[in-house]
Amino acid sequence: MTTTMTAIRSGRTRLRPYALLLAPLVLLAGVIALFVSTNGAGLNVAPAAPIETVQFGRAVLRPGQIELRLRNTSPEAVRLAQVNINDAIWPYAVSPGPEIPRLGTAVVTIDYPWVEGEAYEVLVLSSNSIPFSVSIPVATATAHATAGTLWSFTLIGVYVGIIPVILGMFWLPALRRLGPGAMLFLMAATVGLLLYLGLDATAEALEVAGELSATFQGVGIVGIGVVGTWLLLDAIARRQQGVGRSAASQRRSLATVIAVGIGLHNLGEGLAIGAAYAVGAAALGTFLVVGFIIQNITEGLGIVIPVAKDKPSLRLLAMLGLIGGVPAIVGAWVGGLVYSQPLSVLFLAIGAGAVFQVAYEIGRQMVWKDTAARQMPFTALGGVLAGMLVLFITGVVIK
Amino acid sequence: MLKQLLQTLSPRPAADEARAWSRRRFIGAGLGGTSLLGMAVLGTSQDLAEGSATPGSPAATGGAYGRSHPGAHGSGMHPMPTVVGEVDHEKNGFHPTKMLTDFDGGVVSTLPSGRTLREYTLVAQNKAIEVVPGVEFPAWTYNGRIPGPSIRVREGDRVRITHLNASDHPHSLHFHGIHPGSMDGVFDMRSGVVAPGGRYTYEFDAEPFGLHMYHCHTAPLAKHIAKGLYGAFIIDPKDGRPTADHELIMVMSGYDVDFDGANDFYMVNGIPFHYDKHPIRLEVGELVRVYLVNALEYDPINSFHLHANFFHYYPTGTSLTPVEFTDTIAQMQGQRGILEFRFKHPGRYMFHAHKTEFAELGWTGIFQVEG
Repeated sequence: MTTTMTAIRSGRTRLRPYALLLAPLVLLAGVIALFVSTNGAGLNVAPAAPIETVQFGRAVLRPGQIELRLRNTSPEAVRLAQVNINDAIWPYAVSPGPEIPRLGTAVVTIDYPWVEGEAYEVLVLSSNSIPFSVSIPVATATAHATAGTLWSFTLIGVYVGIIPVILGMFWLPALRRLGPGAMLFLMAATVGLLLYLGLDATAEALEVAGELSATFQGVGIVGIGVVGTWLLLDAIARRQQGVGRSAASQRRSLATVIAVGIGLHNLGEGLAIGAAYAVGAAALGTFLVVGFIIQNITEGLGIVIPVAKDKPSLRLLAMLGLIGGVPAIVGAWVGGLVYSQPLSVLFLAIGAGAVFQVAYEIGRQMVWKDTAARQMPFTALGGVLAGMLVLFITGVVIK
Repeated sequence: MLKQLLQTLSPRPAADEARAWSRRRFIGAGLGGTSLLGMAVLGTSQDLAEGSATPGSPAATGGAYGRSHPGAHGSGMHPMPTVVGEVDHEKNGFHPTKMLTDFDGGVVSTLPSGRTLREYTLVAQNKAIEVVPGVEFPAWTYNGRIPGPSIRVREGDRVRITHLNASDHPHSLHFHGIHPGSMDGVFDMRSGVVAPGGRYTYEFDAEPFGLHMYHCHTAPLAKHIAKGLYGAFIIDPKDGRPTADHELIMVMSGYDVDFDGANDFYMVNGIPFHYDKHPIRLEVGELVRVYLVNALEYDPINSFHLHANFFHYYPTGTSLTPVEFTDTIAQMQGQRGILEFRFKHPGRYMFHAHKTEFAELGWTGIFQVEG
């Protein structure tokens, strides 16, 4: 009897903190109910015109047909009324129906004799006369997930990710013969390269984020991606250091963390390239892919620098190369077959967070430590700037 | 670099440079061979779209591909611009097909002098009009219709028009014709406009004979006209015109449904694509007279083109002798003219603005000629 009472009492004690946590929320619900029931404190909060937005997914083009996927990102349901393609009202079908609930999706199918290589502006008019437009910059049949297209996207990923990273590792024998000053300079240059890539990816993530519907909170996605990835990689790096192994094994860990970071960054690059190919915009991508190959060769260099003096095994090098390069293939698949703008923002942000963290990690573990030991402050400065300038100049040449 | 790639994916009209590139290279890169799959998918997804549409939806009401004149412009395989669905004419309160021949002679009486008096009441009122299926336009109308009543009088008649303003904005009535300044609908009506709830009576002699128009002349003028305040004003010659088998009124105009100062739809007699979905029936050899008025706002020029036929054209209708035998004429805003033609062969013949953009945005129709 007494034990039961105690159990109940202790149960109560355990539940009490949760009850106390809930109390403000219950009060909050009351306040909201009051506000709504008094029609917004007496202000007429209903807008004069309805606020309607939709987020278009990828346009799928088949011979004689355009298919648009869209999501209603407005506060209320949206009803589709008519479709206009390049200044002509065009018959269409919509599934599951013209009435799209909030956050619901619809597929608009239009039988339209589009012309290979030309540009189209499709305007979907809601019943409140709000026009939602989406442009198809270069019309071409959309790639589908067949063995052939998967293989093509795989090849693109191999070209952009694996090959340049592995090629970069061929600098390893040369690195072994460099003096400590030159090594420090190269490591600082790697930091510079990574910072530049991170800034570029962040800017891109923010730009695409700005095009998302308010519902998706693009900038928030960027923040979550950058901060989350940074802290995750940071936690992994600290945990490995905490194990207290030899200096050589710590350098190997650093190389692995760099490879993971670069891999995450290549995921975003692969996504962008795959998506560009999928919408047909990337015949011009042939040129851009060459640019990616040139820039990414520096990534391979960055990965092997920490272990340059340790005579790493071929197996380790292959593993590092694959960690850094394979995500580009995954990115190309995702971008080419299921591209979505919110996903693109997230991938770019993850890539940015990863390279920032790796730059910080190299700086903390290698550059700053060496600079303090050897009193070569301008070597670090020169290296970082040189790294950034390399990407700046290659960018000027290939863009 | 990412920037360039992503720009091509953005919903903005970007990538002009991308257009300049031939994507044949890209197709050659191994992404070809998708067309077969695409065609296979085409059939199924369409079935799905139509099968799963909710009742009353465009897809379900047969508006999507099942046009009301099957076989027009070839088989259903070849899509043509048109709207999906049908507007609710009953709710709109007017029907473009009936409007074609809906000439309003007014309330007729004889003055002590022996002249004919024709009296009209035009009420300016706000009204939501379903201009294309699913889209209601907050219109301003005369007597609840767009265009307003087609006023038809005879040269020398006395015309008395009472203008009531039942809307919440000031309006006016400006008739084309020859009349005193106080009857012109711009000055001398107390404050120059008819205030909400107010009225003004216009009275003048009907001259000269021809095809004219009337419209609101309250500033901002473009807005008052674009919202729907216009109509045809026909003054028949004293001795009339030769008898025609069909006399049709066609008032050309447009709708700017998203208020960006540019028309989203074009049409004759208020409803885009109406005569495309519901052809006008004629017979071979019949004399057809069309009273064509251009009340289009925002665009400077409108036009009329008749397929497989030529017509005699009487600009402004002020002469009984045609000036041109043609198949295409242009009218600037406020211009109008009378067309006369007979079809020699049976068949389906399009008539539309020869500014093809206007045609594909609604100003298109069909004459169905029986042998």
